[in-house]
Amino acid sequence: MSLVDVDFAFWFPVVFGIYWLLPRKASYQNTLLLGFSYLFYFSWNPRLLPVLLLATAVDYGVSEYLATHVAPSADDSSAEAAGRRRARRYALILSLIYNLGALAYFKYAGFFAESLNRQLAALGFHASLPVLQVVLPLGISFYTLQKLGYIFDVYRGRLEPCRSLLVFTTFVAFFPQLIAGPISRGSQLIPQLAAPRQLRERQLVEGASSFLLGYVMKALVADTIGPTLVDPVFSQPAAYGPAAHWLALVGYAVQVFADFGGYSFLAIGCARFLGIELPVNFDYPYLSKSLPEFWRRWHITLNRWLFDYIYDPLVAGSGWWRGRFDAGLLLVFLTSGLWHGARVTFLVWGAMHGTGMIVHRHWDEFYRSLCRRDRAYVERRRSVPYRTMAWALTQFFFLVALIPFRAGSWGVVQTFSAGLLVGGQGFPTITQAAARVSVIVSFAFVAGYYLVKLPRFEGWWARFQALPAPIRGAVYGLVAVWLLLFVPLNATTFIYRQF
Amino acid sequence: MTTSDVRRTVVDWLDDNYHFGDAERLIGSDDRSFLENGILDSLGFVKLILYLEDTYKIKIDRNQLSPRNFDSLGLIVRYVTGHRDYRGVA
Repeated sequence: MSLVDVDFAFWFPVVFGIYWLLPRKASYQNTLLLGFSYLFYFSWNPRLLPVLLLATAVDYGVSEYLATHVAPSADDSSAEAAGRRRARRYALILSLIYNLGALAYFKYAGFFAESLNRQLAALGFHASLPVLQVVLPLGISFYTLQKLGYIFDVYRGRLEPCRSLLVFTTFVAFFPQLIAGPISRGSQLIPQLAAPRQLRERQLVEGASSFLLGYVMKALVADTIGPTLVDPVFSQPAAYGPAAHWLALVGYAVQVFADFGGYSFLAIGCARFLGIELPVNFDYPYLSKSLPEFWRRWHITLNRWLFDYIYDPLVAGSGWWRGRFDAGLLLVFLTSGLWHGARVTFLVWGAMHGTGMIVHRHWDEFYRSLCRRDRAYVERRRSVPYRTMAWALTQFFFLVALIPFRAGSWGVVQTFSAGLLVGGQGFPTITQAAARVSVIVSFAFVAGYYLVKLPRFEGWWARFQALPAPIRGAVYGLVAVWLLLFVPLNATTFIYRQF
Repeated sequence: MTTSDVRRTVVDWLDDNYHFGDAERLIGSDDRSFLENGILDSLGFVKLILYLEDTYKIKIDRNQLSPRNFDSLGLIVRYVTGHRDYRGVA
Protein backbone atom coordinates (compact mmCIF):
# COMPACT_ATOMS: atom_id res chain seq x y z
CA MET A 1 0.00 0.00 0.00
CA SER A 2 1.26 3.47 -0.84
CA LEU A 3 -0.29 6.91 -0.53
CA VAL A 4 -1.61 6.76 -4.11
CA ASP A 5 -2.90 3.17 -4.09
CA VAL A 6 -6.54 2.14 -4.38
CA ASP A 7 -6.08 0.24 -1.08
CA PHE A 8 -5.02 3.44 0.61
CA ALA A 9 -7.95 5.33 -0.90
CA PHE A 10 -10.19 2.75 0.82
CA TRP A 11 -8.38 2.57 4.16
CA PHE A 12 -7.54 6.20 4.76
CA PRO A 13 -11.14 7.51 4.93
CA VAL A 14 -11.89 4.70 7.42
CA VAL A 15 -8.93 5.67 9.61
CA PHE A 16 -9.77 9.36 9.22
CA GLY A 17 -13.39 8.73 10.30
CA ILE A 18 -12.50 6.64 13.34
CA TYR A 19 -9.68 9.03 14.29
CA TRP A 20 -12.00 12.00 14.56
CA LEU A 21 -14.83 10.00 16.14
CA LEU A 22 -12.56 8.89 18.97
CA PRO A 23 -12.51 10.93 22.19
CA ARG A 24 -9.93 13.70 21.78
CA LYS A 25 -7.26 11.94 23.83
CA ALA A 26 -3.69 11.62 22.57
CA SER A 27 -3.44 7.99 23.72
CA TYR A 28 -6.51 6.91 21.68
CA GLN A 29 -5.42 8.88 18.64
CA ASN A 30 -1.85 7.57 18.79
CA THR A 31 -2.97 3.97 19.29
CA LEU A 32 -5.01 4.19 16.08
CA LEU A 33 -2.19 5.94 14.20
CA LEU A 34 0.34 3.37 15.36
CA GLY A 35 -1.90 0.42 14.52
CA PHE A 36 -2.55 1.74 11.01
CA SER A 37 1.11 2.68 10.53
CA TYR A 38 2.18 -0.89 11.29
CA LEU A 39 -0.57 -2.26 9.03
CA PHE A 40 0.64 0.14 6.30
CA TYR A 41 4.21 -1.11 6.72
CA PHE A 42 3.12 -4.74 7.07
CA SER A 43 1.27 -4.50 3.75
CA TRP A 44 4.58 -3.92 1.93
CA ASN A 45 6.41 -6.87 3.35
CA PRO A 46 5.33 -8.62 6.56
CA ARG A 47 8.84 -9.96 7.20
CA LEU A 48 10.29 -6.45 7.51
CA LEU A 49 8.04 -5.27 10.33
CA PRO A 50 10.29 -6.88 13.00
CA VAL A 51 13.22 -4.80 11.67
CA LEU A 52 11.24 -1.63 12.30
CA LEU A 53 10.10 -2.87 15.73
CA LEU A 54 13.64 -3.75 16.80
CA ALA A 55 15.01 -0.42 15.55
CA THR A 56 12.34 1.40 17.55
CA ALA A 57 12.99 -0.68 20.67
CA VAL A 58 16.75 -0.04 20.61
CA ASP A 59 16.39 3.72 20.38
CA TYR A 60 13.60 3.86 22.92
CA GLY A 61 15.92 1.97 25.28
CA VAL A 62 18.78 4.38 24.61
CA SER A 63 16.44 7.34 25.05
CA GLU A 64 15.22 5.96 28.40
CA TYR A 65 18.81 5.43 29.50
CA LEU A 66 19.68 9.04 28.64
CA ALA A 67 16.55 10.21 30.44
CA THR A 68 17.53 8.42 33.66
CA HIS A 69 21.23 9.36 33.40
CA VAL A 70 20.92 13.13 33.16
CA ALA A 71 23.96 14.98 31.78
CA PRO A 72 25.98 16.67 34.54
CA SER A 73 26.54 20.41 34.27
CA ALA A 74 29.53 21.55 32.21
CA ASP A 75 31.51 22.76 35.25
CA ASP A 76 31.01 19.58 37.30
CA SER A 77 34.41 17.85 37.26
CA SER A 78 33.71 15.16 39.87
CA ALA A 79 34.46 11.50 39.20
CA GLU A 80 30.75 10.73 39.34
CA ALA A 81 30.04 13.32 36.64
CA ALA A 82 32.83 11.94 34.45
CA GLY A 83 31.38 8.45 34.83
CA ARG A 84 27.92 9.64 33.90
CA ARG A 85 29.24 11.47 30.84
CA ARG A 86 31.04 8.30 29.77
CA ALA A 87 27.93 6.18 30.28
CA ARG A 88 25.85 8.60 28.17
CA ARG A 89 28.50 8.51 25.45
CA TYR A 90 28.38 4.68 25.42
CA ALA A 91 24.59 4.84 25.05
CA LEU A 92 24.98 7.18 22.08
CA ILE A 93 27.60 4.88 20.53
CA LEU A 94 25.27 1.90 20.98
CA SER A 95 22.54 3.73 19.06
CA LEU A 96 25.01 4.74 16.35
CA ILE A 97 26.35 1.21 15.99
CA TYR A 98 22.87 -0.27 15.77
CA ASN A 99 21.46 2.30 13.34
CA LEU A 100 24.48 2.61 11.07
CA GLY A 101 25.10 -1.13 11.32
CA ALA A 102 21.54 -1.88 10.19
CA LEU A 103 21.90 0.58 7.30
CA ALA A 104 25.26 -0.90 6.34
CA TYR A 105 23.92 -4.44 6.47
CA PHE A 106 20.70 -3.91 4.58
CA LYS A 107 21.82 -1.24 2.17
CA TYR A 108 25.53 -1.51 1.55
CA ALA A 109 26.75 -5.02 2.41
CA GLY A 110 26.09 -6.37 -1.08
CA PHE A 111 27.63 -3.31 -2.72
CA PHE A 112 30.87 -3.49 -0.69
CA ALA A 113 31.24 -7.25 -1.14
CA GLU A 114 30.72 -6.94 -4.88
CA SER A 115 33.16 -4.00 -5.14
CA LEU A 116 35.79 -5.86 -3.14
CA ASN A 117 35.40 -8.98 -5.27
CA ARG A 118 35.85 -6.86 -8.40
CA GLN A 119 38.93 -5.10 -7.03
CA LEU A 120 40.51 -8.37 -5.93
CA ALA A 121 39.77 -9.91 -9.32
CA ALA A 122 41.44 -6.94 -11.02
CA LEU A 123 44.53 -7.61 -8.92
CA GLY A 124 44.55 -11.25 -9.97
CA PHE A 125 42.99 -12.74 -6.82
CA HIS A 126 39.85 -14.72 -7.31
CA ALA A 127 38.25 -14.18 -3.95
CA SER A 128 34.53 -14.59 -3.71
CA LEU A 129 33.11 -12.90 -0.69
CA PRO A 130 29.49 -13.94 -0.32
CA VAL A 131 27.32 -11.21 -1.82
CA LEU A 132 24.29 -10.83 0.41
CA GLN A 133 20.95 -10.60 -1.33
CA VAL A 134 18.97 -8.92 1.41
CA VAL A 135 15.65 -7.18 0.95
CA LEU A 136 16.01 -3.50 1.77
CA PRO A 137 13.55 -2.62 4.53
CA LEU A 138 11.31 0.10 3.20
CA GLY A 139 11.98 3.57 4.55
CA ILE A 140 15.03 2.45 6.56
CA SER A 141 17.11 5.42 5.33
CA PHE A 142 14.40 7.84 6.41
CA TYR A 143 13.40 6.47 9.80
CA THR A 144 17.03 5.78 10.72
CA LEU A 145 17.96 9.45 10.23
CA GLN A 146 14.84 10.55 12.07
CA LYS A 147 15.70 8.36 15.08
CA LEU A 148 19.38 9.32 15.01
CA GLY A 149 18.50 13.02 14.92
CA TYR A 150 16.28 12.48 17.95
CA ILE A 151 19.02 10.62 19.86
CA PHE A 152 21.62 13.32 19.03
CA ASP A 153 19.24 16.04 20.25
CA VAL A 154 18.48 14.20 23.49
CA TYR A 155 22.16 13.45 24.06
CA ARG A 156 23.11 17.10 23.53
CA GLY A 157 20.34 18.27 25.83
CA ARG A 158 18.51 20.10 23.06
CA LEU A 159 15.43 17.95 23.48
CA GLU A 160 13.66 16.41 26.47
CA PRO A 161 13.59 12.61 26.10
CA CYS A 162 10.22 11.22 25.10
CA ARG A 163 9.21 8.95 28.01
CA SER A 164 6.02 7.60 26.46
CA LEU A 165 6.56 4.38 24.51
CA LEU A 166 3.35 4.98 22.55
CA VAL A 167 4.35 8.50 21.49
CA PHE A 168 7.88 7.39 20.60
CA THR A 169 6.76 4.43 18.50
CA THR A 170 4.23 6.64 16.70
CA PHE A 171 6.95 9.23 16.11
CA VAL A 172 9.10 6.58 14.39
CA ALA A 173 6.35 4.80 12.46
CA PHE A 174 3.92 7.63 11.58
CA PHE A 175 2.67 6.26 8.25
CA PRO A 176 2.56 9.36 5.99
CA GLN A 177 6.30 9.94 6.39
CA LEU A 178 7.49 6.41 7.16
CA ILE A 179 8.35 5.37 3.61
CA ALA A 180 9.97 8.48 2.11
CA GLY A 181 9.99 11.32 4.61
CA PRO A 182 9.89 14.23 5.20
CA ILE A 183 12.44 13.49 7.93
CA SER A 184 10.90 15.09 11.00
CA ARG A 185 12.69 16.38 14.06
CA GLY A 186 11.71 15.13 17.48
CA SER A 187 11.34 18.71 18.65
CA GLN A 188 8.70 19.30 16.01
CA LEU A 189 6.72 16.07 15.83
CA ILE A 190 6.82 14.63 19.37
CA PRO A 191 5.05 17.56 21.07
CA GLN A 192 2.27 17.32 18.45
CA LEU A 193 1.86 13.59 19.10
CA ALA A 194 1.94 14.07 22.86
CA ALA A 195 -1.01 16.48 22.77
CA PRO A 196 -4.59 15.66 21.74
CA ARG A 197 -5.44 16.85 18.24
CA GLN A 198 -8.57 18.88 17.54
CA LEU A 199 -10.44 18.89 14.24
CA ARG A 200 -10.18 22.27 12.52
CA GLU A 201 -11.55 23.33 9.16
CA ARG A 202 -8.27 25.02 8.20
CA GLN A 203 -6.37 21.72 8.61
CA LEU A 204 -8.78 19.95 6.29
CA VAL A 205 -8.49 22.66 3.64
CA GLU A 206 -4.66 22.62 3.86
CA GLY A 207 -4.62 18.82 3.89
CA ALA A 208 -6.90 18.57 0.85
CA SER A 209 -4.95 21.09 -1.23
CA SER A 210 -1.57 19.56 -0.34
CA PHE A 211 -2.87 16.04 -1.03
CA LEU A 212 -4.40 17.05 -4.36
CA LEU A 213 -1.22 18.85 -5.39
CA GLY A 214 0.86 15.80 -4.45
CA TYR A 215 -1.49 13.47 -6.29
CA VAL A 216 -1.37 15.53 -9.48
CA MET A 217 2.43 15.79 -9.22
CA LYS A 218 2.88 12.07 -8.73
CA ALA A 219 0.09 10.36 -10.62
CA LEU A 220 -0.12 12.76 -13.54
CA VAL A 221 3.23 14.52 -14.00
CA ALA A 222 5.80 11.98 -12.79
CA ASP A 223 3.99 8.91 -14.10
CA THR A 224 3.38 10.50 -17.50
CA ILE A 225 6.76 12.03 -18.21
CA GLY A 226 8.85 9.15 -16.85
CA PRO A 227 7.57 6.34 -19.09
CA THR A 228 7.11 8.48 -22.23
CA LEU A 229 10.19 10.72 -22.40
CA VAL A 230 12.74 9.52 -19.84
CA ASP A 231 12.80 5.74 -19.50
CA PRO A 232 13.09 4.89 -23.22
CA VAL A 233 16.14 7.14 -23.72
CA PHE A 234 17.95 6.09 -20.53
CA SER A 235 17.36 2.41 -21.28
CA GLN A 236 18.77 2.66 -24.84
CA PRO A 237 20.77 5.89 -25.08
CA ALA A 238 22.61 4.86 -28.23
CA ALA A 239 19.36 4.64 -30.20
CA TYR A 240 18.36 8.26 -29.64
CA GLY A 241 19.62 11.61 -30.90
CA PRO A 242 20.84 14.64 -28.91
CA ALA A 243 17.43 16.36 -28.86
CA ALA A 244 15.87 13.25 -27.31
CA HIS A 245 18.68 13.13 -24.73
CA TRP A 246 18.18 16.75 -23.68
CA LEU A 247 14.43 16.28 -23.54
CA ALA A 248 14.89 13.13 -21.43
CA LEU A 249 17.19 15.00 -19.06
CA VAL A 250 14.81 17.94 -18.63
CA GLY A 251 11.96 15.43 -18.38
CA TYR A 252 13.80 13.57 -15.64
CA ALA A 253 14.34 16.81 -13.70
CA VAL A 254 10.58 17.40 -13.87
CA GLN A 255 9.82 13.75 -13.07
CA VAL A 256 12.07 13.46 -10.03
CA PHE A 257 10.75 16.74 -8.62
CA ALA A 258 7.14 15.73 -9.25
CA ASP A 259 7.72 12.24 -7.88
CA PHE A 260 9.53 13.07 -4.67
CA GLY A 261 8.06 16.53 -4.19
CA GLY A 262 4.68 14.95 -4.93
CA TYR A 263 5.21 12.29 -2.27
CA SER A 264 6.18 14.97 0.23
CA PHE A 265 3.02 16.96 -0.53
CA LEU A 266 0.95 13.78 -0.18
CA ALA A 267 2.57 12.98 3.17
CA ILE A 268 2.13 16.55 4.43
CA GLY A 269 -1.48 16.55 3.27
CA CYS A 270 -2.27 13.19 4.89
CA ALA A 271 -0.73 14.29 8.18
CA ARG A 272 -2.62 17.59 8.02
CA PHE A 273 -5.93 15.68 7.75
CA LEU A 274 -4.97 14.08 11.05
CA GLY A 275 -4.09 17.40 12.70
CA ILE A 276 -0.32 16.93 12.40
CA GLU A 277 2.03 19.38 10.72
CA LEU A 278 5.04 17.88 8.93
CA PRO A 279 7.99 20.01 7.78
CA VAL A 280 8.11 21.43 4.26
CA ASN A 281 10.44 19.36 2.07
CA PHE A 282 10.50 21.25 -1.24
CA ASP A 283 10.36 25.00 -1.68
CA TYR A 284 10.43 25.72 -5.42
CA PRO A 285 14.00 24.46 -5.94
CA TYR A 286 13.99 25.22 -9.66
CA LEU A 287 13.91 28.93 -8.90
CA SER A 288 17.30 28.76 -7.10
CA LYS A 289 20.08 31.01 -8.28
CA SER A 290 22.96 29.24 -6.53
CA LEU A 291 23.77 25.71 -5.40
CA PRO A 292 23.60 26.53 -1.67
CA GLU A 293 20.17 28.04 -2.29
CA PHE A 294 19.18 24.94 -4.27
CA TRP A 295 20.05 22.68 -1.37
CA ARG A 296 18.06 24.85 1.00
CA ARG A 297 15.03 24.27 -1.21
CA TRP A 298 15.41 20.65 -2.37
CA HIS A 299 14.83 17.73 0.04
CA ILE A 300 15.11 20.31 2.80
CA THR A 301 14.74 17.89 5.70
CA LEU A 302 17.58 15.62 4.54
CA ASN A 303 19.96 18.49 3.82
CA ARG A 304 19.19 20.21 7.10
CA TRP A 305 19.87 16.93 8.84
CA LEU A 306 23.23 16.52 7.10
CA PHE A 307 24.30 20.08 7.84
CA ASP A 308 23.02 20.12 11.43
CA TYR A 309 24.47 16.75 12.47
CA ILE A 310 27.56 16.41 10.27
CA TYR A 311 28.75 19.72 8.80
CA ASP A 312 28.14 22.13 11.68
CA PRO A 313 29.61 20.01 14.51
CA LEU A 314 32.68 19.16 12.42
CA VAL A 315 33.46 22.47 10.74
CA ALA A 316 32.60 24.59 13.78
CA GLY A 317 34.06 22.00 16.15
CA SER A 318 37.51 21.94 17.64
CA GLY A 319 39.38 19.15 15.83
CA TRP A 320 41.05 18.81 12.43
CA TRP A 321 37.81 19.71 10.66
CA ARG A 322 37.50 23.15 12.28
CA GLY A 323 37.24 25.82 9.58
CA ARG A 324 37.73 23.27 6.78
CA PHE A 325 34.66 24.33 4.87
CA ASP A 326 35.57 22.56 1.63
CA ALA A 327 36.25 19.23 3.29
CA GLY A 328 32.99 19.58 5.23
CA LEU A 329 31.00 20.26 2.05
CA LEU A 330 32.55 17.32 0.24
CA LEU A 331 31.85 15.01 3.16
CA VAL A 332 28.21 16.12 3.39
CA PHE A 333 27.51 15.52 -0.28
CA LEU A 334 29.40 12.24 -0.47
CA THR A 335 27.31 11.12 2.52
CA SER A 336 24.20 12.32 0.71
CA GLY A 337 25.23 10.31 -2.36
CA LEU A 338 25.86 7.20 -0.30
CA TRP A 339 22.59 7.72 1.56
CA HIS A 340 20.73 7.62 -1.75
CA GLY A 341 22.03 4.18 -2.53
CA ALA A 342 24.80 1.67 -2.82
CA ARG A 343 25.94 2.60 -6.31
CA VAL A 344 29.08 4.24 -7.65
CA THR A 345 26.91 6.59 -9.71
CA PHE A 346 25.33 8.02 -6.53
CA LEU A 347 28.81 8.66 -5.13
CA VAL A 348 29.72 10.42 -8.38
CA TRP A 349 26.56 12.52 -8.08
CA GLY A 350 27.48 13.40 -4.48
CA ALA A 351 31.06 14.25 -5.48
CA MET A 352 29.77 16.48 -8.29
CA HIS A 353 27.55 18.45 -5.94
CA GLY A 354 30.22 18.62 -3.24
CA THR A 355 32.66 19.99 -5.81
CA GLY A 356 30.02 22.35 -7.17
CA MET A 357 29.42 23.74 -3.68
CA ILE A 358 33.16 24.22 -3.17
CA VAL A 359 33.57 26.00 -6.51
CA HIS A 360 30.61 28.22 -5.68
CA ARG A 361 32.08 28.99 -2.24
CA HIS A 362 35.39 30.13 -3.77
CA TRP A 363 33.66 32.11 -6.50
CA ASP A 364 31.55 33.77 -3.81
CA GLU A 365 34.66 34.65 -1.75
CA PHE A 366 36.31 36.09 -4.87
CA TYR A 367 33.27 38.09 -5.86
CA ARG A 368 32.92 39.46 -2.34
CA SER A 369 36.51 40.67 -2.49
CA LEU A 370 35.49 42.59 -5.65
CA CYS A 371 32.48 44.02 -3.83
CA ARG A 372 34.69 45.26 -0.99
CA ARG A 373 36.82 47.14 -3.50
CA ASP A 374 34.05 48.52 -5.65
CA ARG A 375 30.38 48.80 -4.74
CA ALA A 376 29.42 48.65 -8.40
CA TYR A 377 29.89 44.86 -8.14
CA VAL A 378 27.17 44.73 -5.47
CA GLU A 379 24.74 46.38 -7.85
CA ARG A 380 25.92 44.17 -10.70
CA ARG A 381 25.10 41.11 -8.65
CA ARG A 382 21.54 42.34 -8.20
CA SER A 383 21.06 43.02 -11.90
CA VAL A 384 18.73 40.91 -14.03
CA PRO A 385 21.50 39.59 -16.35
CA TYR A 386 23.63 38.43 -13.37
CA ARG A 387 20.68 36.78 -11.67
CA THR A 388 19.52 35.15 -14.91
CA MET A 389 23.00 33.80 -15.57
CA ALA A 390 23.28 32.54 -11.98
CA TRP A 391 19.91 30.80 -12.28
CA ALA A 392 20.79 29.23 -15.64
CA LEU A 393 24.17 27.97 -14.41
CA THR A 394 22.67 26.50 -11.23
CA GLN A 395 19.91 24.68 -13.07
CA PHE A 396 22.25 23.49 -15.81
CA PHE A 397 24.63 22.06 -13.23
CA PHE A 398 21.80 20.27 -11.43
CA LEU A 399 20.56 18.92 -14.75
CA VAL A 400 23.94 17.51 -15.78
CA ALA A 401 24.49 16.00 -12.33
CA LEU A 402 21.20 14.13 -12.75
CA ILE A 403 22.84 11.87 -15.36
CA PRO A 404 24.74 9.72 -12.84
CA PHE A 405 21.80 10.00 -10.45
CA ARG A 406 19.43 8.44 -12.98
CA ALA A 407 21.82 6.11 -14.80
CA GLY A 408 21.99 2.63 -13.36
CA SER A 409 25.63 2.11 -14.26
CA TRP A 410 28.78 3.94 -15.28
CA GLY A 411 28.37 2.64 -18.83
CA VAL A 412 24.98 4.35 -19.16
CA VAL A 413 26.49 7.59 -17.78
CA GLN A 414 29.10 7.54 -20.54
CA THR A 415 26.74 6.61 -23.36
CA PHE A 416 24.08 9.07 -22.26
CA SER A 417 26.58 11.92 -21.80
CA ALA A 418 28.01 11.33 -25.28
CA GLY A 419 24.47 11.19 -26.66
CA LEU A 420 23.84 14.76 -25.52
CA LEU A 421 26.23 15.89 -28.24
CA VAL A 422 26.18 13.24 -30.97
CA GLY A 423 24.36 9.99 -31.51
CA GLY A 424 21.48 8.26 -33.22
CA GLN A 425 18.44 9.79 -34.85
CA GLY A 426 15.71 8.34 -32.68
CA PHE A 427 13.12 10.37 -30.82
CA PRO A 428 10.57 9.00 -28.35
CA THR A 429 7.23 8.54 -30.07
CA ILE A 430 3.99 8.85 -28.17
CA THR A 431 1.36 7.06 -30.19
CA GLN A 432 -1.74 7.69 -28.08
CA ALA A 433 -3.31 11.15 -28.41
CA ALA A 434 -4.38 11.08 -24.72
CA ALA A 435 -0.78 10.43 -23.66
CA ARG A 436 0.42 13.35 -25.79
CA VAL A 437 -2.12 15.62 -24.11
CA SER A 438 -1.01 14.35 -20.69
CA VAL A 439 2.63 15.17 -21.47
CA ILE A 440 1.73 18.73 -22.49
CA VAL A 441 -0.57 19.19 -19.48
CA SER A 442 2.16 17.81 -17.16
CA PHE A 443 4.78 20.30 -18.35
CA ALA A 444 2.21 23.11 -18.26
CA PHE A 445 1.20 22.16 -14.72
CA VAL A 446 4.78 22.25 -13.39
CA ALA A 447 5.49 25.49 -15.28
CA GLY A 448 2.33 27.03 -13.82
CA TYR A 449 3.23 25.80 -10.34
CA TYR A 450 6.54 27.67 -10.57
CA LEU A 451 5.17 30.70 -12.39
CA VAL A 452 2.72 31.62 -9.64
CA LYS A 453 5.68 31.82 -7.26
CA LEU A 454 7.39 34.51 -9.36
CA PRO A 455 6.81 38.05 -8.08
CA ARG A 456 5.06 39.07 -11.29
CA PHE A 457 2.45 36.30 -11.02
CA GLU A 458 2.35 35.78 -7.26
CA GLY A 459 -0.94 37.64 -6.94
CA TRP A 460 -2.72 35.18 -9.24
CA TRP A 461 -2.79 32.33 -6.75
CA ALA A 462 -3.84 34.69 -3.95
CA ARG A 463 -6.65 35.99 -6.17
CA PHE A 464 -7.78 32.42 -6.91
CA GLN A 465 -7.77 31.59 -3.20
CA ALA A 466 -9.85 34.70 -2.51
CA LEU A 467 -12.61 33.48 -4.85
CA PRO A 468 -15.84 32.25 -3.24
CA ALA A 469 -15.59 28.70 -1.91
CA PRO A 470 -18.13 27.22 -4.41
CA ILE A 471 -16.04 28.45 -7.36
CA ARG A 472 -12.81 27.08 -5.91
CA GLY A 473 -14.63 23.87 -5.04
CA ALA A 474 -15.87 23.56 -8.62
CA VAL A 475 -12.31 24.00 -9.95
CA TYR A 476 -10.95 21.37 -7.56
CA GLY A 477 -13.84 19.11 -8.52
CA LEU A 478 -13.06 19.47 -12.22
CA VAL A 479 -9.41 18.63 -11.54
CA ALA A 480 -10.47 15.56 -9.56
CA VAL A 481 -12.84 14.39 -12.34
CA TRP A 482 -10.15 14.94 -14.94
CA LEU A 483 -7.69 12.94 -12.85
CA LEU A 484 -10.17 10.09 -12.44
CA LEU A 485 -10.81 10.00 -16.16
CA PHE A 486 -7.27 10.26 -17.46
CA VAL A 487 -4.88 9.19 -14.74
CA PRO A 488 -4.59 5.47 -14.08
CA LEU A 489 -5.23 4.35 -10.53
CA ASN A 490 -2.42 2.47 -8.80
CA ALA A 491 0.36 4.72 -9.96
CA THR A 492 3.83 3.30 -10.36
CA THR A 493 6.25 3.13 -7.48
CA PHE A 494 7.90 6.21 -5.99
CA ILE A 495 11.50 6.89 -7.00
CA TYR A 496 12.53 7.85 -3.49
CA ARG A 497 10.96 4.76 -1.95
CA GLN A 498 14.00 2.79 -3.13
CA PHE A 499 16.29 4.95 -0.99
CA MET B 1 33.62 46.34 25.44
CA THR B 2 29.87 46.87 25.60
CA THR B 3 26.82 45.36 24.04
CA SER B 4 26.82 48.03 21.34
CA ASP B 5 30.47 47.19 20.51
CA VAL B 6 29.62 43.53 19.96
CA ARG B 7 26.66 44.62 17.90
CA ARG B 8 28.94 46.82 15.77
CA THR B 9 31.42 43.94 15.35
CA VAL B 10 28.71 41.62 14.02
CA VAL B 11 27.24 44.26 11.68
CA ASP B 12 30.74 45.07 10.37
CA TRP B 13 31.41 41.39 9.78
CA LEU B 14 28.13 41.07 7.87
CA ASP B 15 29.03 44.13 5.83
CA ASP B 16 32.55 42.87 5.10
CA ASN B 17 31.42 39.42 4.12
CA TYR B 18 27.91 39.58 2.80
CA HIS B 19 26.13 42.91 2.50
CA PHE B 20 28.79 45.55 1.81
CA GLY B 21 27.22 48.49 3.56
CA ASP B 22 23.62 47.23 3.51
CA ALA B 23 23.72 45.07 6.63
CA GLU B 24 22.18 47.63 8.97
CA ARG B 25 19.32 48.33 6.57
CA LEU B 26 18.65 44.61 5.99
CA ILE B 27 18.74 43.79 9.69
CA GLY B 28 16.18 46.51 10.44
CA SER B 29 15.47 45.51 14.01
CA ASP B 30 17.62 43.41 16.32
CA ASP B 31 15.04 40.66 16.71
CA ARG B 32 14.63 40.10 12.95
CA SER B 33 15.39 36.51 11.88
CA PHE B 34 18.63 36.24 9.90
CA LEU B 35 17.59 33.02 8.21
CA GLU B 36 14.07 34.00 7.24
CA ASN B 37 15.13 37.37 5.87
CA GLY B 38 18.12 36.22 3.86
CA ILE B 39 20.60 38.09 6.06
CA LEU B 40 22.68 34.98 6.67
CA ASP B 41 22.39 31.37 5.53
CA SER B 42 23.28 28.28 7.54
CA LEU B 43 26.76 28.07 5.98
CA GLY B 44 27.33 31.71 6.92
CA PHE B 45 26.31 30.99 10.51
CA VAL B 46 29.14 28.51 10.89
CA LYS B 47 31.59 31.15 9.65
CA LEU B 48 30.16 33.76 12.01
CA ILE B 49 30.44 31.40 14.97
CA LEU B 50 34.10 30.69 14.16
CA TYR B 51 34.73 34.43 13.83
CA LEU B 52 33.09 35.21 17.18
CA GLU B 53 35.03 32.43 18.91
CA ASP B 54 38.32 33.69 17.48
CA THR B 55 37.57 37.37 18.11
CA TYR B 56 36.36 37.05 21.70
CA LYS B 57 38.27 33.92 22.66
CA ILE B 58 35.10 32.26 23.82
CA LYS B 59 33.96 28.71 23.25
CA ILE B 60 30.39 28.50 22.07
CA ASP B 61 28.64 25.51 23.57
CA ARG B 62 28.28 22.88 20.82
CA ASN B 63 24.92 21.89 22.27
CA GLN B 64 23.68 25.38 21.47
CA LEU B 65 25.34 25.46 18.09
CA SER B 66 22.26 25.92 16.00
CA PRO B 67 21.17 28.77 13.73
CA ARG B 68 17.94 28.80 15.70
CA ASN B 69 19.81 29.92 18.80
CA PHE B 70 21.65 32.65 16.92
CA ASP B 71 19.01 33.69 14.49
CA SER B 72 18.98 37.44 15.14
CA LEU B 73 21.39 40.18 16.01
CA GLY B 74 19.86 40.54 19.47
CA LEU B 75 20.26 36.80 20.24
CA ILE B 76 23.88 36.79 19.06
CA VAL B 77 24.84 39.88 21.06
CA ARG B 78 23.08 38.56 24.16
CA TYR B 79 24.81 35.20 23.86
CA VAL B 80 28.30 36.65 23.36
CA THR B 81 28.11 39.31 26.09
CA GLY B 82 26.51 36.80 28.47
CA HIS B 83 29.21 34.20 27.91
CA ARG B 84 31.16 33.39 31.05
CA ASP B 85 34.54 33.81 29.29
CA TYR B 86 33.61 37.02 27.54
CA ARG B 87 36.11 39.81 28.28
CA GLY B 88 35.80 41.91 25.13
CA VAL B 89 38.22 41.65 22.21
CA ALA B 90 41.24 39.54 23.19
